[in-house]
Amino acid sequence: MSTLTGTGAADVAVRPAPLHAPQQPHARFRLIPRLETYPTLVSFCQTVPGKASLLLVFGVGLALATHLFFLPVLLSLILITAFPAQRRLLVTCCTLAFALATCWRAGSLPQAIDIVLVCALAGVLFMVAVRLPQSPIGRRPLVCLLAGFMSVLLLVSYFPHDSRMQNWFWGFLTVLSGYLAAVGYSLLDRNSKNRDSFALQLGTYRPFWGMTVIPYPKGAAYLRRVECKTPETLAVSQIKGVKLLAWSLALLLLLKLVVRVIHGSLGVPTFASLFALSAARSPFPWWLGWAAVVSAFLEKLLGISIWGHQIIATCRMAGFLALRNTWRPLESRSIAEFWNRYIYYFKEMLVDFFFYPTFMRYFKSRPRLRLFAATFVAACLGNSLLHFFTSYMDSVQSFGLLQAFAYFQTYLVYSAALAVGIGISQLRNAKRKNGWIRGRLVPALCVIVFFCVLHIFDDDMGKYPLGEHFRFLANLLHLTVW
Amino acid sequence: MECAPAVLNFVQELLAQKGDREPLAATSPLFSNARLQSIDGIQVALFLEERFGVDFASMGFEQEKIDTVDSICALIEESQPR
Repeated sequence: MSTLTGTGAADVAVRPAPLHAPQQPHARFRLIPRLETYPTLVSFCQTVPGKASLLLVFGVGLALATHLFFLPVLLSLILITAFPAQRRLLVTCCTLAFALATCWRAGSLPQAIDIVLVCALAGVLFMVAVRLPQSPIGRRPLVCLLAGFMSVLLLVSYFPHDSRMQNWFWGFLTVLSGYLAAVGYSLLDRNSKNRDSFALQLGTYRPFWGMTVIPYPKGAAYLRRVECKTPETLAVSQIKGVKLLAWSLALLLLLKLVVRVIHGSLGVPTFASLFALSAARSPFPWWLGWAAVVSAFLEKLLGISIWGHQIIATCRMAGFLALRNTWRPLESRSIAEFWNRYIYYFKEMLVDFFFYPTFMRYFKSRPRLRLFAATFVAACLGNSLLHFFTSYMDSVQSFGLLQAFAYFQTYLVYSAALAVGIGISQLRNAKRKNGWIRGRLVPALCVIVFFCVLHIFDDDMGKYPLGEHFRFLANLLHLTVW
Repeated sequence: MECAPAVLNFVQELLAQKGDREPLAATSPLFSNARLQSIDGIQVALFLEERFGVDFASMGFEQEKIDTVDSICALIEESQPR
């Protein structure tokens, strides 16, 4: 029995076990050694030359990984490393500077104004939620936020088409949609005992290390938990940041190799080109379809891993020892486990915004239904809603709300199938079988096949009608439907 | 805190089911260092509902409040009628 003696927040940073999993009894082969466990290196990285070396190595890696913005990111990291006591405030300053610099670079003053307005609106909502806890925003902030956004979207779609007013609102809503999840996390932080001021919350609004719709890594509450409090934990976090960037570069090389071998040497067409053939009623061998689907699945997996690793690596360099976004997804033995390992922060957002609120309120007397309903609301409804708000604003503007919904039907089917898969996987909670083949290989292959098939419907741009996706699937199953 | 041993026992059992037998301190993060996953949050919530009568529907559920044994105990105390 372990004692109740505290080890403090530094546990997050110095815990010897690898992130996401308890320590394995046997040593694994590591391409990149666990440098953060070398005391001499950790001590060196706390000195000025050590920090400078880490930043230099990271800068070189970042330049290799992404040419765009690598210098401003590096300058931000230098600033934050030099003044760790002002870390959170500096993150806010850098984030706002990046947001406005992006608009300046694109020559879009209206977008910059919209960003300022979105931040002001978020500030008002946050203030209301904090000061008026019994108001609707104080009690159900996410419902108010999403319902409010949907209502304005509906209203604007009935404004005179292409009018000045409508165009201004579209611009504003498009910018707001990019910040929706971040604002949601801020509002969820309203009741925390040690919640951050709004100035610090702003640092989590598309932070400079990612500037994505999905908040990496979650909101201010999470940043507080994973922020490095001592020079030692900062050194560990930055070493892990450099390692993660190195790993993402290794995966980038692997992705280029995979693409060259599969599409070059083996001559397997891309999924997109084969799908276009299918839509044009040009037949192709079913096995070629499977090869294209599996390769598309692998490429997407690698792409998301690389992208997520670069964001989290930068976040770690800034002094926040956040968990990885993707962690050994191909080792998953269930659909639910894969979803957790594949795109962790998106899943966490769905869990925080949709799963927990549903689970805590409804079907309390029916445990299995309770779990399934909460999973379905998160993976289907929440997933669809957020994708629609963030990816379909242009379609709504161009074709109207109803037509945009029609284009969205494929993604609805995708998320419904995903939700049912995850729900059943959680309910089954199958016992792990012994042996490498029955215990690991077979379950992992089943999961991969499920997600490969699902990938056929993973069309969040609505390029082809739903029927075409079923036609492609039928072809894979060797059912001729031409 | 009176609830600490019961909570600690429960969390240790939960971790053991996942093959994690690392030492657990009252302030060790559970979710923010991934010893537990979101789905395990449900087990913790169910335990708190059944054992201590915590009503998350009225007080809201935040993973941050169940991130350590200490914070779970604080949440239990907060939920008890005064």
